[in-house]
Amino acid sequence: MKTIMLVDDSATMLMSIKSVLVKAGYGVETASHGKEALTKITGGLRPDLIISDVNMPQMDGITFTREVRKTAGMRFTPILMLTTESEAGKRAEGKAAGATGWLVKPVQSDQLLGVIKQVVPGA
Amino acid sequence: MPLTLRDNTATITGTLTVEEVEPLAGWLRSTDRPRVNLRGCTHLHTGALQLLLFFRPTVVSRPLDPFLSTHIMPLLGKRNKELEASS
Amino acid sequence: MNPLLAQFLAEADDLLSQVDEGLLRLEREPHDADLVNEVFRAAHTIKGSSGLFDFPELTRLTHAAEDLLDAVRGGRLELDATMTDDLLAAFDLMRGWLAHVTTTERLPSSANADGAVLIGRLRAPLGGQDSPAPAGHGPQAAPAPAATAPQWVGALGEEWLETTASWLEATSASLRFVRYTPEEDCYFRGEDPLHLLRQVPAAERFVPVTPAAWPQAAEYDEYACLLSFVLATRAATGELEYLFRYVPEQVEIADLGATALTRLLAGEAAAVAEAGIRLGDAEQAQDARALLEAALHVLSALPQEAAARAARVSSVERAVQSVARALGRDVEFPAHDAESVEAAARALLAALETAVVAEEAVPAPAEETVRSLAPAGPAEETAPAALHPADGAADGGKVGSRTLKVEQEKVDRLMELVGELNVAKNALTFLAASAEEEFGNRILGRRIKDQYAGMHRIAEELQAAVMDVRMLPLSVAFARFPRLVRDLGRKLGKSVELVTDGEDTMADKDVIEALGDPLVHLVRNSLDHGVEAPRVRVEAGKEATATIRLTAVSDGDAVVIEVADDGAGVDPERVKRKAYEKGLITEEQLETLPEAEAVNLLFLPGFSTAETVSDVSGRGVGMDAVKASVERLGGTVTMRSERGAGTVVRLRLPLSMAVTQVMVFSVAGQRFGVPVDAVVETVRVPAGEIGRVLRQEVIQLRGEVVPVVDLAGTLRMPWSPAGATRDVLVMWVGGQKVGLLVERFHREVDVILKPMEGLLADHPAFSGTALLGDGLVLLVLNMKEVLGVAAHAA
Repeated sequence: MKTIMLVDDSATMLMSIKSVLVKAGYGVETASHGKEALTKITGGLRPDLIISDVNMPQMDGITFTREVRKTAGMRFTPILMLTTESEAGKRAEGKAAGATGWLVKPVQSDQLLGVIKQVVPGA
Repeated sequence: MPLTLRDNTATITGTLTVEEVEPLAGWLRSTDRPRVNLRGCTHLHTGALQLLLFFRPTVVSRPLDPFLSTHIMPLLGKRNKELEASS
Repeated sequence: MNPLLAQFLAEADDLLSQVDEGLLRLEREPHDADLVNEVFRAAHTIKGSSGLFDFPELTRLTHAAEDLLDAVRGGRLELDATMTDDLLAAFDLMRGWLAHVTTTERLPSSANADGAVLIGRLRAPLGGQDSPAPAGHGPQAAPAPAATAPQWVGALGEEWLETTASWLEATSASLRFVRYTPEEDCYFRGEDPLHLLRQVPAAERFVPVTPAAWPQAAEYDEYACLLSFVLATRAATGELEYLFRYVPEQVEIADLGATALTRLLAGEAAAVAEAGIRLGDAEQAQDARALLEAALHVLSALPQEAAARAARVSSVERAVQSVARALGRDVEFPAHDAESVEAAARALLAALETAVVAEEAVPAPAEETVRSLAPAGPAEETAPAALHPADGAADGGKVGSRTLKVEQEKVDRLMELVGELNVAKNALTFLAASAEEEFGNRILGRRIKDQYAGMHRIAEELQAAVMDVRMLPLSVAFARFPRLVRDLGRKLGKSVELVTDGEDTMADKDVIEALGDPLVHLVRNSLDHGVEAPRVRVEAGKEATATIRLTAVSDGDAVVIEVADDGAGVDPERVKRKAYEKGLITEEQLETLPEAEAVNLLFLPGFSTAETVSDVSGRGVGMDAVKASVERLGGTVTMRSERGAGTVVRLRLPLSMAVTQVMVFSVAGQRFGVPVDAVVETVRVPAGEIGRVLRQEVIQLRGEVVPVVDLAGTLRMPWSPAGATRDVLVMWVGGQKVGLLVERFHREVDVILKPMEGLLADHPAFSGTALLGDGLVLLVLNMKEVLGVAAHAA
């Protein structure tokens, strides 16, 4: 089973995406900001995909992405940034930091599952 | 395990991820006349494909996966037509 | 309610409080970048989540607020008081909407109109424009295939190209050709180009292209992607743009028909550089297309009047020119008329549709490509990030607090279970007694008692733990005051600074909640009656800005909260005179009451000292109401005031409300209570069945003889039971069953027991008093003592 890590400071967003992923048969780990997520990763969690919000307290998604890329075993893991319509600039910034792509909020469930299949081989 | 490394044959099954690129590279570097069995391979990471194109091991079994079989195999098999036929 | 919506409502509530608090602090520290960012983020999160539900008005309103905050964050706007007012009003409106959603799951019908008003106000400082609606993309005409093919198409192989060309010729069809050149370090962004390419729909042919020169085996880096890929597909350009949307700058797409392929095969190197546009960003291309189509639309319906027509044409010309610039091309208009503008727009559109590579022959430096294609505002976009680059380093290693939100009912349920556990536990003592007495087994009796002692300890700890869950910091009660003080201050024309201290003092949730209204009243009083107008303060030699101080400290099992102001203080003479005028004190008291005690008159029902009744605090609810509600919580209120120096009101409340469940009944018209724990059952027996053993009245209860105590008689209250039946409350007291003759049963209530005061303070028959919801004082019996008194009397 593929494990997906969700990072968002909005519990609503976590809940909505998690329910779609769980229903689709993915294992889901959540964190409410970059720092918490990073702690889980340095603690040994190795998700097959990370979906992270950009704008978060403690550690934003861009910094988080940069940090993840420094972690052994996480250098090649796909990372998708959760962005809003107006955050086009953040997408480029995220890619420069090592993100694979992005999702646009609010995320439609079939679109979400499609993107996961697109970026995670074997998903 | 997607990657099984024996004396001179590597067998790739299922999805070969980027994490297996390094061991495969090490094996290809250190193996004389390496042979690769792709029969059960459904996908290989771009890095692994590039390794096969660079080190040109003998591909001993055509993949069942239609994409690999149609589009990738012709390239890998270019110099190994006779072996491909015997597999 | 759908759990997701419930989650959203709870979250939005938290975020709205954050926004409020942040905005108020921001007004004082307008240049605190972290603060702006925090408020922006909260608004942003609400907006993002609101999109999950069908609340378009909410999304629009948060969007407008977010845009304004973004402008502040980006330094384009200076936050002023009016903007803060508007923002606060917007978030207030949202709060109202969400309350409506909580009950009806939809926004109020007025949402659209109300929202529009605020959106207008929020957008005014930004130039008054609503954010432009995304230009509609008209029906996309099938683009004409490009006339020439880029060189890289050759990678697909001459043989295949020939076959394909003749087939395309026969069918007048075209294919899309893609070249994908992944960046060397693409694996480090989690990309797997081959995996992406597998997903190209309807691929006719796919060829990985190896580098012209491989590195030496020793230098071969397995993590550097050196391959590129060329493919042909029947999929539409739009599908391909979508698939490659994360790597648009690495992808070139060309729509080619038989002619282009034939020319390529004939060795006609692509002369596409003139017409070609490199596909940078699928979105950018779409935007450009929409703009150009809009331009053509405008040109097709030009006004007749010459001046208007010229103005329209020139504005379209500017638009077309800017599109051209964004696409990295120059356009020249032979004449500044409609025809030449239209021709230029059409040319650009055609070029866009083919979207083929421009630099095949002369590769441009990468930087240049980036520059010409980069969206207009990258600098702006990166600026906000720079505001919090040190987030990670700043608060070393602190991981988000692991808190759990639990519904109140669940905690209450736990509390109930703890109560039930206590009752069940208490049954063990009876069991121990009967083991000893009925079965003569002392050892078993003692073991049961030991067991009881252990359970008792656990039950007590459990109770304490559950009580602890209910503890909240006082900051919850204080949270509304910064806003209240600001708004009232502005309304009254007084300048007031609110200082809070001890917000992290903990108290029971019920105490915190019940504190809300009394505190609001006290703070309003301070603002309205205590704090003077700035001019008056300056004349009195004080600072123009007054200070209201909210302080909380814990003191044993109580929490002490003070509301202090440095205002005018209470005038004891005026208070006394007023009390006298209102008939609250006698003429003698008017003369003799010491000044220090005069302030206490304020707590008398129906007192108001303000000369004019303002709409701030003069609503007929006086300090007496504050006193009553604090006392209902088992607390006390005291006031100190010094003329000219200010007033301090001190509330002392129990840290937790030790809630006791009490069975209420009446005897001789007076209500009494006994703890429910002690109640076994209530029975109604025919009057004739009450017998007498020795001098004690008894009833037979399922073969058991139970003594019955006449409470009225014991307490010497004039009452004798009438009617054919008797109501008896059967209780366990001191290890035996006892009946209490009762006039009438009422219900069970939860009360907070207070120790007895005044005349009855030393009366052993009562364990305490409690204030009932209707304001009556309930006397709670100490049954052991009641029995003693009864036995004594008998």
